[in-house]
Amino acid sequence: MSTRVYVPADAAARALGADSVAEAIANLDLDIDIVRTGSRGLYWLETLVEMDSDQGRLGFGPVPAAAVPFLFEAGLPDADHELCLGLVSDIPELAVQERHTTARCGVIDPLSLDEYRRYGGFQGLEKARQLRPQDIVEQIQQSGLRGRGGGAFPTGIKWQTVLNAEADRKYVVCNADEGDSGTFIDRLIMESDPMMLIEGMCIAALAVGADTGYIYIRSGYPQAIATMRRALELATTAGYLEDLQLEVREAAGVYICGEETALLESLEGKRGMVRYRPPLPALEGLFGQPTLVNNVLSLAAVPAILADGADQYAAMGQERSRGTLTVQLAGNVKRGGLYEVPFGTSLRELVDSLGGGTLSGRPVRAVQAGGPLGAYIPPALFDTPLDYEAFKAIDAMLGHGGLVVFDDQIDLGEMARFAMSFCAEESCGKCTPCRIGSVRGVEVIDRIRAGEQAEDNRILLKDLCDTMIDGSLCALGGMAPYPVLSIMKHFPEEL
Amino acid sequence: MGNYYRVGSEQDYGTPAVDNKELVSLSIDGQTVSVPAGTSVMRAAAINGRRIPKLCANEDLSAFGSCRMCLVEIEGRKGYPASCTTLVEEGMVVNTQTEQLAKLRRNIIELYISDHPLDCLTCAANGDCELQDVAGAVGLREVRYGYEGANHLDAAKDETAPYFSFDASKCIVCSRCVRACEEQQGTFALTVEGRGFESVIAASQGDDFIDSECVSCGACVKACPTATLTEKSVIEKGQPDRAVITTCAYCGVGCSFRAEVRGNELVRMVPNRDGQANHGHSCVKGRFAFGYATHPDRIAQPMIRESIADEWQPVDWDTAINYAAQRLQSIQKQYGRKAIGGVTSSRCTNEEVYLVQKFIRAACGNNNVDTCARVCHSPTGYGLKTTMGESAGTQTFDSVMQADTIVVIGANPTEAHPVFASQMKRRLRQGANLIVIDPRQIALVDGPHVKADHHLQLRPGTNVAVINALAHTIITEQLEDTAFIAARCEDEAYQTWREFISQDSQSPETLEAVTGVPAAEVRAAARLYAKAGNGAIYYGLGVTEHSQGSTMVMGIANLAMATGNLGRPGVGVNPLRGQNNVQGSCDMGSFPHELPGYRHLSDQGTRQLFEQHWQVELDPEPGYRIPNMFDAAIEGEFKGIYIQGEDMAQSDPDTQHVHAALAAMECVIVQDLFLNETAKFAHVFLPGPSFLEKDGTFTNAERRISRVRQVMPPLSGMGEWEITAALASAMGYPMSYDHPQHIMEEIAALTPTFSGVSYKRLDELGSIQWPCNDLQPDGTPFMHVDEFVRGKGYFVPTPYVASDERSNARYPLLLTTGRILSQYNVGAQTRRTDNMHYHDEDRIEIHPSDAEVRGIRHGDWVGLKSRAGETVLRADVTERVLPGVVYTTFHHPESGANVVTTENSDWATNCPEYKVTAVQAYPVREPSNRQKQFRAEDDKQRELLPTS
Amino acid sequence: MTVRSDKLLHMAEQITANMAYTDDQSVVAAKVADHLNRFWDPRMKAALRELHSEGSEQMSPALEEAIGLIHD
Repeated sequence: MSTRVYVPADAAARALGADSVAEAIANLDLDIDIVRTGSRGLYWLETLVEMDSDQGRLGFGPVPAAAVPFLFEAGLPDADHELCLGLVSDIPELAVQERHTTARCGVIDPLSLDEYRRYGGFQGLEKARQLRPQDIVEQIQQSGLRGRGGGAFPTGIKWQTVLNAEADRKYVVCNADEGDSGTFIDRLIMESDPMMLIEGMCIAALAVGADTGYIYIRSGYPQAIATMRRALELATTAGYLEDLQLEVREAAGVYICGEETALLESLEGKRGMVRYRPPLPALEGLFGQPTLVNNVLSLAAVPAILADGADQYAAMGQERSRGTLTVQLAGNVKRGGLYEVPFGTSLRELVDSLGGGTLSGRPVRAVQAGGPLGAYIPPALFDTPLDYEAFKAIDAMLGHGGLVVFDDQIDLGEMARFAMSFCAEESCGKCTPCRIGSVRGVEVIDRIRAGEQAEDNRILLKDLCDTMIDGSLCALGGMAPYPVLSIMKHFPEEL
Repeated sequence: MGNYYRVGSEQDYGTPAVDNKELVSLSIDGQTVSVPAGTSVMRAAAINGRRIPKLCANEDLSAFGSCRMCLVEIEGRKGYPASCTTLVEEGMVVNTQTEQLAKLRRNIIELYISDHPLDCLTCAANGDCELQDVAGAVGLREVRYGYEGANHLDAAKDETAPYFSFDASKCIVCSRCVRACEEQQGTFALTVEGRGFESVIAASQGDDFIDSECVSCGACVKACPTATLTEKSVIEKGQPDRAVITTCAYCGVGCSFRAEVRGNELVRMVPNRDGQANHGHSCVKGRFAFGYATHPDRIAQPMIRESIADEWQPVDWDTAINYAAQRLQSIQKQYGRKAIGGVTSSRCTNEEVYLVQKFIRAACGNNNVDTCARVCHSPTGYGLKTTMGESAGTQTFDSVMQADTIVVIGANPTEAHPVFASQMKRRLRQGANLIVIDPRQIALVDGPHVKADHHLQLRPGTNVAVINALAHTIITEQLEDTAFIAARCEDEAYQTWREFISQDSQSPETLEAVTGVPAAEVRAAARLYAKAGNGAIYYGLGVTEHSQGSTMVMGIANLAMATGNLGRPGVGVNPLRGQNNVQGSCDMGSFPHELPGYRHLSDQGTRQLFEQHWQVELDPEPGYRIPNMFDAAIEGEFKGIYIQGEDMAQSDPDTQHVHAALAAMECVIVQDLFLNETAKFAHVFLPGPSFLEKDGTFTNAERRISRVRQVMPPLSGMGEWEITAALASAMGYPMSYDHPQHIMEEIAALTPTFSGVSYKRLDELGSIQWPCNDLQPDGTPFMHVDEFVRGKGYFVPTPYVASDERSNARYPLLLTTGRILSQYNVGAQTRRTDNMHYHDEDRIEIHPSDAEVRGIRHGDWVGLKSRAGETVLRADVTERVLPGVVYTTFHHPESGANVVTTENSDWATNCPEYKVTAVQAYPVREPSNRQKQFRAEDDKQRELLPTS
Repeated sequence: MTVRSDKLLHMAEQITANMAYTDDQSVVAAKVADHLNRFWDPRMKAALRELHSEGSEQMSPALEEAIGLIHD
């Protein structure tokens, strides 16, 4: 039997040369069976080539294509090879992780139903099929799962609302319009373990009584779109989608369509404009029907909760933040990538220990958590644990789990300006605080930075931030001030 | 009555009223209030006197939540919910005025003003600007952002629309215009282009308004809270200082308007939200096309002349009235009592129409009175009276919102009844089914937002065959409502009809050869209507103006009775009336055979009632109808006519015949706004007032009686009714009324269906749908609820009889006629407004294949020849018409569409067969001799006018 | 026959044709007569009767029967 060699094929690994690596290996005259996996998200090690061994998977990396002949100089490499990282599961940054949602990522061929099943796939769905809808919803409620898109709303309550709504037709919608800076987990899951998302949606549809679902994927993710479509075909052929009409939709290409009501407008074929709430999408969503809108991560967590039981999931984490968070470490950081860790892990552990500090080697100046609308957190607050409430207490948010690291050369005044200009760029234009406020925000910051009546303008900027926070229709205008305010508070010399 | 003469804008509670019996109690600023469940917090507060600042909210539109001015605090809720989008809940505690809210609102308005011109003093909306009002209300004192930042102050103005201007520099992007275009009008012409700060309002794909899909209904202009969309009349004249609630004088929808006036000058017409027919919506005619009322062509002084070749002599009213009376009397002396007659106008008020028929019957002593409804909806009167017992539509317009399947037959609502069409389209967008029966592809058939489930594109003149095929399907497929038929209809008549309609000769398959409509399509449509739940039929002149107009009306009634689609909301038989008061002019006894309230002259009791009240003896036999009058005139036995506001010389068919008849008369009295075509044959011209100069009532297509209120004094010094009364008095039959309301009192006293109607009740209720009497003191929204007016419904067999007007080798095409949105009837009014920008000539629509074989290209001059005459129009080559069919409008006198129409008419009522004329079409180089002559004659007539 | 009587006859025949959904001529004639009595000016009825008595024009049997039923 030929030896299986695993080469990642997610978009990030490919960007780092994984395809050339695979091609180079294929060109070798060796009895090798190349399996293209997704990615484990250890991006500082990509291209991470893995190989079966008696002890488990041996890892080699990073392997540039040019190094392939060297790697296979003596036939199949062993643990003594210069590039060997040892057993992949022993790589310290991976070993400390609690991989539940991402357990199969980088391990299996994403489009192999057999492998998916072999690694526990569809067990959750099978269990769910034995349960009444209300029982499924209760499992989700007991797990303590909260919306991973950023809102952190208890997922079980949302499901319960849709389940309770009476309607001829209900929808499940997966929000895969991942647009936060520094985030990539939705893409990584769709490219590495698409069946898990399908399974999660099937369970969700069973639970709430939906017969139609959509996966709304960021247009900048062509590979994720293609992988999901192919996975849907395979799952359909295998008979997993007999009760659910599931379809992939390419998103409109604007940040605001990641906001769930704008997403629904876009799905309806309209301009992506935010709707007011209530009515909640759970009651009047897509085409006015009860609609469950969940993020990729929330839905991806569902199969494991059903398969392993809510208690096991709820056992991880702390306080009201249960389970694991898939942190995406990015920016100026030595070991950037995916870290699935239980809630409660401190920011310092992530940035300094796991991430290894800045890539530049200079001192860390700040971390922006939760995407472009998240606060800039100074090192003094790095002991804050990953916990929705703990972050809120320091006027920050975890959001979708993205952490962007900056060293001491960053111009945070410019970053504050960027927050407002990002909001201006991405505003749908419906509500006034966001539509006009964001533009004025840029102008006022410019005046402060130019020293024009800086004190008056600082007061005006604070006023404006309050107006946007209190007055905006959705989270874009309502949160864009947070980075600005965090900089004014923690880095007053910068703005 | 003071309530109807208002100052300032109408009340706006911010979000639409909710019809819900369940009440919810909540606390607003410490005050406990109760409102219907489903009401917004904003509306609840407004109803109870708490005005929450707002910009994007408007009572006409669903809540949007974008301006963020109306934020409130609600105990137990985090943040600041928008009061427009938050619905009341039991026990809710709302604070609308807190220090924090005041600051928030001030800061938001500050953002608005940082991108708004500071030209309030010179702005057209000064004094009528919601932005200004809100800035004042929240106490904005400075704009700390300065005015150097990004802004839209240099945005270009779009002045291309005739009636309003679009000044993007003043736009606050509240989307009220976009939403009004979608929700109220249903045209979707407006959109927001760009995103964020770049968001701008655009017509169609960034076109100029005039080139866009905009239909100038004015909804966006009304919705705009700033000067961005403003009536040009307001820009020119300034803000109005008072408003008068009145009723539109265009189509049979009967929209209620606030006529906003400064002094005696009408500044603008704004649709009245409380209007029960239009609910605050309007169309380009009613909203904007009122300029004819002050057009220089208006005749202000009475005129007389000995012969029609003479110059007109301006005279005072006494002279004119006496001259007219003396000429009529001398005719009667010489040729007999019955040698004169009169025609009432469907554009005049009920009171005025009533008086003219009274004048003919009582003062002239004969029954030669008819109405212009003769040429439009007389078959409706005949057909509905025969089958159901009342000559009127069965529903309210609002009923359409409960219809499941809508059938539109021979009507083009988006052009001819635009405000009702918008309501119908709203229902269609909600998912109601639509069946269109029309030879032409009207806009409803295949629009961007509505589509017909079935378009039965029949050959002109085969309506009855189609309705029979539909009925055949329903009966033979056992889709009829047997319970309804058994309980509500005369059994013997039903059995007779059933036997008739079940025959193979009436099947869709047999009749396909006649109608050209595939049998399967007919069957599918029949099933859709019969199984609808609520099936509602709407029809227009495409039903009535045929040689079998009355048969078709009865066929429609049969279909509705057979399926039980009568007597409740959402169903019914609904004639869409062409002119504002077609229903009323018929109600008022304008037809030669019946007295007001559709009571036949032969009914002795009714006759005696009138004889007692009028103190005259009435002739119990019917008089002449309009076409009979013309025929008799040519015979030399009919010599004098009093014509109230109808241009028969243009609007009646077979123009040459009509002209010959008018020319043969010895005294033609025309009472009109303008020196119209008919006035060219007149000996006396009595200048009548426009609807803006009148008090009275109109009755719309839903039997809704609405008040017309005087906005400005009559140009000629005399009210329409005063002229008729004076003429009667001069004829020796004194009529004395102080005010039109006293005429209505007489009508109510003599007409059982009107006995509860008075101006006082109209003021109280806004409007009243007759019958209104002791049984129905508030009027009757739905007819035939428990039983038909005639007792049991009466099925009438409707054999298809082909029209004499058939295409042949010489006249191979069938001409049918219709209307266009911007013009009204013969165009006397709309041609004297800027509506000419939209439609300045009538064109002939011809199918590409018919055009090609004749060598006719789009825009070419086309000769059109029928048995009656010929004319020339420019070609519109289009697939809206089928091969073999051509189509035109007749809004322009020089087009002469009626030169080619024939004198064929409905068998029962003599309603002309405008909708079918066999013609030939051929390319020509220039307009016809007649048309050139027309211009010359027109100029000559003008020369005969006195030079003032 | 004058233009007008020609027209009257045409109208009367049109009415008759539209009433002719039964083979029973007397039913048709009664309906036609009723219609003429209700809607026609007596002068028009007289002209039609005169035309009938002249006998110069061909008329449908039902109309002939109806003319016998119309009153002055």
